[in-house]
Amino acid sequence: MADFFLGAVPLILLFPLVGAATIALFGPYVQRSASAFIGCLSIGLSFLLTVGTSFVIFPLSPAQQTLYTHSKFVGYWAHLPPDLIIGFRLLIDPLSLLWMLIITGVGLLIHVYSVSYMASDKNYRTFFAYMNLFVFTMLLLVMADNFLWLLVGWGGVGLASYLLIGFYYDRPVAVLAARKALIMNVIGDVGIMLAMFLMYAHVGSVSYQNVFGHVATIGTSALTWIGVWLLLGAVAKSAQLPLQTWLPDAMEGPTPVSALIHAATMVTAGVYLIARAHPIYDNAPAAAELVAVVGGVTALFAATIGCVQYDIKRVLAYSTMSQIGYMMLAVGAGAFAAGAFHFMTHAFFKALLFMSAGIVIHALGGEQDIRKMGGLATRLPFAYWTFLVGAVAIAGIFPFAGFFSKDAIIDAVLKLHHPYLFVFTVVAAGLTAFYMFRLVFLTFLTGAYRGDHEVHAETERTMTVPVAILAVLSLIGGWIVLPHHDELSFLLRSTFADAPFPQSMADFNGWLSFGVLLIALAGIAFAWVAYQWRPQIAAALHRSLGGVHALLTNAYYFDTIYHWLFEWPVLALAQWLRDAFEVDAVDALPALALRAGAYFGSLSNRWETGYLRRYGLTFVVGAALLLFIYLFVAHGATAGAAP
Amino acid sequence: MPQVPLNLYLELSAVLFIIGVIGFLLRRNPITMLMAIELMWNAGNLAFIAFARNFIDMSGQVFAFLVITVAAAEAAIALAIVVMVFRRRENADVDDISVMRG
Repeated sequence: MADFFLGAVPLILLFPLVGAATIALFGPYVQRSASAFIGCLSIGLSFLLTVGTSFVIFPLSPAQQTLYTHSKFVGYWAHLPPDLIIGFRLLIDPLSLLWMLIITGVGLLIHVYSVSYMASDKNYRTFFAYMNLFVFTMLLLVMADNFLWLLVGWGGVGLASYLLIGFYYDRPVAVLAARKALIMNVIGDVGIMLAMFLMYAHVGSVSYQNVFGHVATIGTSALTWIGVWLLLGAVAKSAQLPLQTWLPDAMEGPTPVSALIHAATMVTAGVYLIARAHPIYDNAPAAAELVAVVGGVTALFAATIGCVQYDIKRVLAYSTMSQIGYMMLAVGAGAFAAGAFHFMTHAFFKALLFMSAGIVIHALGGEQDIRKMGGLATRLPFAYWTFLVGAVAIAGIFPFAGFFSKDAIIDAVLKLHHPYLFVFTVVAAGLTAFYMFRLVFLTFLTGAYRGDHEVHAETERTMTVPVAILAVLSLIGGWIVLPHHDELSFLLRSTFADAPFPQSMADFNGWLSFGVLLIALAGIAFAWVAYQWRPQIAAALHRSLGGVHALLTNAYYFDTIYHWLFEWPVLALAQWLRDAFEVDAVDALPALALRAGAYFGSLSNRWETGYLRRYGLTFVVGAALLLFIYLFVAHGATAGAAP
Repeated sequence: MPQVPLNLYLELSAVLFIIGVIGFLLRRNPITMLMAIELMWNAGNLAFIAFARNFIDMSGQVFAFLVITVAAAEAAIALAIVVMVFRRRENADVDDISVMRG
């Protein structure tokens, strides 16, 4: 049985690819439902194989796990210099297995959900082909055993994300958002490439095994630069400061895409990268510190913006950004298991929140503005209760999943001596509870329904069942780590065996958890006071803090700053080149050639009289001239030259 | 029987050719001009055949046949054009049909 699952590991990667290709090639010739079936089936098969592989790998001892880690050899990367042999091997270790379980498991639920969510879309088949392509590239990213293949997957998820953000391609906003996401992600890709160049220069290889085996020989300064460039890639992919502006715009994509790519899996690739490259950061404290600072600042930064947004998906996007900030902070501080734990629970409750929000948006015919919702709890009770579970989980209320994972991070940050970042996380925890319950109150409660769309009932089984499963997981997902009994860091022990800090989260700081829980409850209470009990308080706050409100509504004007700093100079330069250079220099040369051609043409044009006899005369004179030259000039010259 | 020397054939050919050229240049009736062109063709043919006879080389005669077929084709096309021109205009003076200049 073990051999079967280990032999079938390449199939985990292959099924989504075959699914995407099948739908793309044969989709137009079969029924719409067949495409959806293939899309779900391929992910389902991958999920089953991943679960089987987990049951084989997790019970092994760390020594045996390392044996299996690099055993899956598939082929060589061709056309590279002989001293740079990069095998295409699949890496199956606890960390990649955890990511694979979430990608295929949550991915399967979201595919099933999409079957009815996307049912009325004209590009139904394309959607499933893109989604399968995404799952394939994401699996490639986490299953690669070297940085080059990781980068292939990294670019692949960027492509899939671009295609799916711009899925409603007849909406210009969506196309612009897709372009923005792609450009920002490519900046990150360049960062990873620079890191790879440095690795190759110092180690002569880019495989995890060789690079991590030789970190001691690289030297701190080069290692720090590798860490910084890898961080650039992580920052772009995970929407952290300062490359965060694409994620809110990415909400232009369909809601299942937001749930799968921009909440549960792709945006956590940065966390995976840092956790995977932990030997580098363990030996480059400055780079690790930078990761922690970026994560901590983003966690607070995004949480503050989330408090004032009115688009239900944008609030969730800023919330995602903030939660990934927590994960980055954890892996930057050295608490890799805590970061992976929060990734897992976040995948559950954030996918749940997006899918519940999707039910609301679906029921309201596409409405996303929470000012036009309200009072939906009675009309959409299923969406209300599941969203409430997600909100409670992300707010970190005992005994839901977020309580355990967020506490693990806050606890680790305090233990690893990051006092400022600890304060950030605690404040962000309060803000998280506040903005999530602001969302709950404004969407589902606060008096009557304010919108003008007809509210359709929530009936489709394929939508409600995945949401219900995720709701259960959001409740029990955190119980894998209980006080004095930490199952997760035990499962991940072989990956993080050489980490400098103890990874176990079993050492439970009860007072700290209680304090954070109180802060979260205070956030919920304030949301209740300001939006449910006394709505005039929220209005008064808007009035008195107008400047702050504008600052937050515009997301600290990052888009404006980037526009004037990067976009405008390029456009202005292009405009100047067009006006000055193109007209005067580039266009002048062909114009000169044109005039010269016309002039010489007019000269020969005089010959062209149309009088046949003149042509004849020209012909005869020419022939006579040639004859004359041949007979007297040329012949005479040869005769004269001859002795 | 005394053989006619090659020179005389060539001189006759040259005279015929010059008559053809002069006819082509001076006449304005397209049909007369076509006849002048035929004269030039056949001046060439005469030279070919004279050389073939002189050097006992049949390729000259073969070439003369080729020229005759090409000349026939050329005349057919040219006459067709002339007929078309006659249909469009009353006269067919070549100086009047200079509208096709570039």
